[in-house]
Amino acid sequence: MIPIEWMPPLMFGGLVLFMLIGYPVAFSLAALGLTFGFIAIHEGFFTLDFLQAIPSRVFGNVLSNELLLAIPFFTFMGSVLERCGLAEDMLDSMGQLFGPVRGGLGYSVILVGFILGAITGTVAAQVIAMALISMPVMMRYGYNMRYTTGVLAASGTITQLVPPSLVLIVLADQLGKSVGDMYLGAWGPSVFQIVLFAAYTFVLGIIKPDHLPPVPKEARTLTGWALWKKCLMGIIPSAVLIFVVLGTMMLGLTTPTEAGAMGAVGAIVLAVMHHKEFSRAGRIILYAGLVACALGIVVDLLNWPNIVFRFAFAIVCAAIIVLCLEAARIAELRSLIKQAYETTMRITAMVAFILIGSTCFSVVFLGVNGEPWLEHMLTSLPGGAWGFLAFINIFIFFLAFFLDFFEIAFIIVPMIAPVAQHVLSPIVGADAALIWFGVILCVNMQTSFMHPPFGFALFYLRGVAPKEVKSSDIYWGALPWVGLQLVMVALVMALPILVTGLLGGPAKDATKIQIEVPLPEQIPLDLK
Amino acid sequence: MDAGAGGGGRNGRVGIRDSVVGNNQGPRPERGGNGPAVEGDIVKALLWLSGAIDWCNEKLGFVTNLLVLIAVLISAGNAMSRYAFNLSSNAWLEVQWYMFALIVMYGASYTLRRNEHVRVEIFYLMLSERAQLWLDLICTILFLLPVCLLLAYLSWPFFKLAYDTNEWSQNAGGLIRWPIKFVLPSGFVLLALQGLSEIIKRIAAIEGLAKVDAHYERPLQ
Repeated sequence: MIPIEWMPPLMFGGLVLFMLIGYPVAFSLAALGLTFGFIAIHEGFFTLDFLQAIPSRVFGNVLSNELLLAIPFFTFMGSVLERCGLAEDMLDSMGQLFGPVRGGLGYSVILVGFILGAITGTVAAQVIAMALISMPVMMRYGYNMRYTTGVLAASGTITQLVPPSLVLIVLADQLGKSVGDMYLGAWGPSVFQIVLFAAYTFVLGIIKPDHLPPVPKEARTLTGWALWKKCLMGIIPSAVLIFVVLGTMMLGLTTPTEAGAMGAVGAIVLAVMHHKEFSRAGRIILYAGLVACALGIVVDLLNWPNIVFRFAFAIVCAAIIVLCLEAARIAELRSLIKQAYETTMRITAMVAFILIGSTCFSVVFLGVNGEPWLEHMLTSLPGGAWGFLAFINIFIFFLAFFLDFFEIAFIIVPMIAPVAQHVLSPIVGADAALIWFGVILCVNMQTSFMHPPFGFALFYLRGVAPKEVKSSDIYWGALPWVGLQLVMVALVMALPILVTGLLGGPAKDATKIQIEVPLPEQIPLDLK
Repeated sequence: MDAGAGGGGRNGRVGIRDSVVGNNQGPRPERGGNGPAVEGDIVKALLWLSGAIDWCNEKLGFVTNLLVLIAVLISAGNAMSRYAFNLSSNAWLEVQWYMFALIVMYGASYTLRRNEHVRVEIFYLMLSERAQLWLDLICTILFLLPVCLLLAYLSWPFFKLAYDTNEWSQNAGGLIRWPIKFVLPSGFVLLALQGLSEIIKRIAAIEGLAKVDAHYERPLQ
């Protein structure tokens, strides 16, 4: 009755319709997929046995997927960090340091947003924490309201792009690329993005000086060495944590998943250090652990006898265990950790079920020849590869109005990945094509948090902003930053070197990669 | 939103029961007769069933919650001991994703009970509370129940094959494989049961027999 050619477009239309109903996406998707599965069986396109592929794919690609295990680990890490007061301390000290410069509070928000993004990856936590601390200060010193709300929301969403972002892990999984490469590809654009944000702040400071006035020096509660010390106290533990997560991964010591777990343990240690009930004995053990860690690294570098290294490392492990026990001892931290893992469990189950739902959909979609249909449609766009990129980005931009990145990554990305590989390979080479594509999508999906009026960063901001901040200020304030993010999308598209510059080189220390601006000399040879 | 996660469920359940008892004891003596009493008993039995399902999934949720923490510790510990002492085995690696599978499949029903599966809520939030209840009711009957039962049915042979062949991991020192495949059918059945419980609660709420906290808030990311 129904020709098989009609099935893919019908499924696509049904997808939009079913999602908009407002029932949980995971189940709507599964229902849609299975309904069409039965129509297809009825029409004789395949038999019930074909649907047997669903459980084995759910088991193989979702449940036994070690990479997806990173989702609970990173979520847990972010959940602990958002409650432990690290962001507050950093914003306070950085704000005082940069305050006297014109637009200084803006720079401090952007910088802290970047550092927090490199530690963890939850937009909600970041926007809320930063808005609570910085918004009152910025309002007090007469910052323009729209600039204030915009910079806070935008700096909160930077975390999506800065490794070790969960988005990049999920995209790497869906695109079939290694997480390490994805991270290397994302560094260029993420550094570039904060430069762009800072440049906007700088230009605004020149054009409209009264929008971001300097804070009088007398407003500092800390001066001189004490101020620097507080800044360093915020940055050094963060840097250590960044190394624990990214460094160990880039050096090949841990898998991305284990790096997430290490980060989660690191976050607990950091929370203990930050807590006022942290005991003196604990502090001594912490220092002993740090010294042993330094010793261990030196010993490892000098190739000294293994036994010394193991001894040093045993002390480090013991120190970590003691600090975790300390966390269990302090009631406040205990409830913090409990809340963190409970939230994490629900988010993990929710996210993985979207993937299970989309597996049901995609198995049937493949079964009714959806892939050739989609490929034909996308490759017949005018403008070749650039037409394809432009179309996909506009499509994702509008999709991002009502879907968030997990849904886009799990439903849309797997469908267009094979086409992207095929179409983009001539531009940047077969190996880098999907990484470039993934980073473009990632930058693009950042905007989904910033769209007025549904953008979630704005929603969180509304939740914590004082009453005198008008919703219209938040919406209008976001627009220039959405514009900047779109400029970023265009830049990453126009300059693939931003992404591919770091790829293909030897594995580097993550802390070096951070400050390195990609140089033209680093183009992999296979591009020519 | 997360505060009091442990105690909230129990209170919610008691709340439903209390209000049912209150509602039933009110009209029953006045009406008399056999019919309403039987009807009341059915309502009571159904709500008891819903409460029992909620209780089971709540307990399972407690376990899966803890699994998150345990998985973190195992994974970090495994990475460190492998680096420093060359101590590691496939069993420790596999047990991590075994836990992930348990978290996903058994945690989903707990998440459903908390109404925390993400929705595209543009139009949903425009609906009145009553319309939201109706939408949830219809979609649970049309989407969730058939999907879960069908997936449980489809995944049963998948488990059965592994069980019959007594499947073990192919990796050296790996774990036995078939028990973890059991989480697929059992997890979908649990989810269907939770769906049943949600249906009962939604009907009760629409009929005004019980108050249900059907409030939806998008999960934080």
